[in-house]
Amino acid sequence: MKPGVLIVDDSLTVRMDLAEAFEIAGLRPVLCATAAEARAALSRGPVDVVILDVLLPDGDGVALLKEIRESASSRSTAVIMLSTEAEVKDRIRGLQTGADEYVGKPYETAFVVARAREFLRARRDSLDDRKRVLVIEDSATFRNELTDALDSAGYVTLTAVSGEEGLYKAADQRPDAIVVDGILPGIDGAIVIRRVRLDAALRGIPCLLLTASEDRNSELRALDAGADAFVWKEEGVALILARLAAVLRGAGSRKLGEEAVSLLGPKTILAVDDSPTYLQELAYALRGEEYDVILARSGEEAIELLAVQSVDCILLDLLMPGLGGEETCRRIKSAQIVREVPLIMLTALEDRSAMIQGLSAGADDYISKSSEFEVLKARVRAQMRRKQFEDENRHIREELLRKEMETAEARAARELAETRAALVDELERKNKELEAFSYSVSHDLRAPLRGIDGFSQILLRDYSEKLDAKGRSHLVRVRAAAQRMGELIDDLLQLSRIGRAELSRTRIDVSRIGHAVLTDLSTNEPDRKVECRVQDDLILDADGQLIKVALENLLGNAWKFTSKVAAAKIEFGAEQRSGGTVYFVRDNGAGFSMGHADKLFAPFQRLHGSAEFPGTGIGLATVHRIVDRHGGQIWAESTVGQGATFYLTISPGRLGGTS
Amino acid sequence: MIRSRIILLVEDNPDDADLTLAAFEESKTLNEIVIARDGEEALEYLFATGSFAERDRKLMPEVVLLDLKLPKVDGLEVLRRVRADERTRRLPVVVLTSSNEERDIIRSYDLGANSFVQKPVDFGQFMEAARQLGLYWLVLNQLAPARRF
Repeated sequence: MKPGVLIVDDSLTVRMDLAEAFEIAGLRPVLCATAAEARAALSRGPVDVVILDVLLPDGDGVALLKEIRESASSRSTAVIMLSTEAEVKDRIRGLQTGADEYVGKPYETAFVVARAREFLRARRDSLDDRKRVLVIEDSATFRNELTDALDSAGYVTLTAVSGEEGLYKAADQRPDAIVVDGILPGIDGAIVIRRVRLDAALRGIPCLLLTASEDRNSELRALDAGADAFVWKEEGVALILARLAAVLRGAGSRKLGEEAVSLLGPKTILAVDDSPTYLQELAYALRGEEYDVILARSGEEAIELLAVQSVDCILLDLLMPGLGGEETCRRIKSAQIVREVPLIMLTALEDRSAMIQGLSAGADDYISKSSEFEVLKARVRAQMRRKQFEDENRHIREELLRKEMETAEARAARELAETRAALVDELERKNKELEAFSYSVSHDLRAPLRGIDGFSQILLRDYSEKLDAKGRSHLVRVRAAAQRMGELIDDLLQLSRIGRAELSRTRIDVSRIGHAVLTDLSTNEPDRKVECRVQDDLILDADGQLIKVALENLLGNAWKFTSKVAAAKIEFGAEQRSGGTVYFVRDNGAGFSMGHADKLFAPFQRLHGSAEFPGTGIGLATVHRIVDRHGGQIWAESTVGQGATFYLTISPGRLGGTS
Repeated sequence: MIRSRIILLVEDNPDDADLTLAAFEESKTLNEIVIARDGEEALEYLFATGSFAERDRKLMPEVVLLDLKLPKVDGLEVLRRVRADERTRRLPVVVLTSSNEERDIIRSYDLGANSFVQKPVDFGQFMEAARQLGLYWLVLNQLAPARRF
């Protein structure tokens, strides 16, 4: 079925004109004179495009647009609004409400049809994103060769054997790119491109000119006609495909920025003046140059419009009621998105001070209203050319900057990687050193101690009668010191191993480990009577060996520090808190002062004298490191003489995972 | 078969050697204890070469007490060569060392040690260890029958 176009306009002339044009273009027009008729038509079924007059006899076109945008069935329908130029407020409302295009009356029929087809094509393209390429070539051999290459490169190919046929197919099919031979029967390639460039609906299509001759002039002619690229046939089909891909990429990126699209589409000029007579004259003169002209009556209107529509050039009257030209200019030039748009100040005054006033407000140029329009048009052209140069230069600068940034980023990333690798190496080396160190400690520091202890013992045993009581007591202290040093070495080695060991998490029954540790403790000191309570079924994903070491230390401490309490109690359990499970070991022993709590977990820190409670001061540092390795936390609460509670958390980790 | 009653103690530290002798003496282990001061000497004794070329090579020790950190040839290398030789492959070797490093324990068993014992710093505990080693390896343990050459 043909795509449907709903034309809503109270003017019979407009309806007939558009209906005829759309029918020729192969669409199915539905005509309505009022908003009510349009609603009835829409309720019968969706259409593909709506052409909507702003002023309808029974209501407001923008209100109807709002209904269309709010209805699920027509939300994505393309809407082109028609309006007379005076109503700039309607243009703003229309674009804000969601119009896809806003065309001023008197409209150009061909442009309206072209825009409508463009929207239809955009919808079709979203279904099939293969690029369609029109090949205009009279030689069947080369045409077939090129067509085959294009097909296998994933393009959809359309063909024409003459310039006339090509232009017809271009208008009818709206290809994504045109490849045209320079020499054709009838109109030649350069003329085809020139005509394409003159057609409002086609001028955005990238064109590639082919030629058989290596003639410098033909290239200039082609570029002059508006070709995007120029290829000699001798250079081969592969090069044509490469150039084609490049111009399509360019066209695609141009479409991303609306400002950039306007480089190829009709230029839009915003004219701001409080005199309707002058505005009409200006509009007439500029439309003759194929510019799209928007007329605003005041600075306020102009600023409001610029917020919703981008333009290519602004003509601004200096003397206006309200905001005035100077202030309007200043505001436009201070807005990020429009500051680059060329602004030409217009004034009736022919004096230097007005000129300086305008330029100091940020205007790019200045022209007297009394000048001929030809001069004004030339100035407009010059400003837009300047803008285009600047855009291109900026584009080149941005590209260079981007490349520089990329290079710098790549260098930074490489340096970072090198630094990291060096650090990892250094760390590994240090780890090896540390390992070698603790290995030596493990071997070499123990042996002399064994000598000290062993020979002291032999002295005590075999030469006891030759020593007095004091001598024997000294020897006992030598032995005690040697043994204590042995314990220190063992504990230190354990601490250092825990930092190096691979963490191997499995599901473990912590309750059972707790029971086992307490059983060991009471086996070693069967005379102690301690009430031990272990909460059942504490299951945890952690390194079982390390958790056992932690519990040996914590429960061992509890055991040790309750040794002077009559009814000793030790409890191991867990409680649920907002952050998760918190395990605790509680005793009613000696406790410690919270004032020293910060020293608890540092190695060699002891809060009790060795005479009172023996120990190396490494146990809690070891526990701390074990908890750390499990991504958990440890803290303690205590009151002197009331016992202590140690709390710890273990963060959930991957089973079997190492860190 | 006739048991040789010989213990080969491979130990470079004279203090440790004397203490080990004292510990065995204390625990009434009245065996002949041969001391090798380094790995090379231990291998010469076992294979009756070098300074031990004249010894009766049929008499093998009942157990070798082997330290790991040794001059010239270290303990693990001694163990490797002992296990590689047909004459000594079934000889009981007890690693008796200061270390309790996991990798030493694993390497020792991988190379075929029969036991791994850490020398305690406390002499009382050391004597107890010596007593138990003597009881186990010299009394309870059954040796593999000697090969006929």
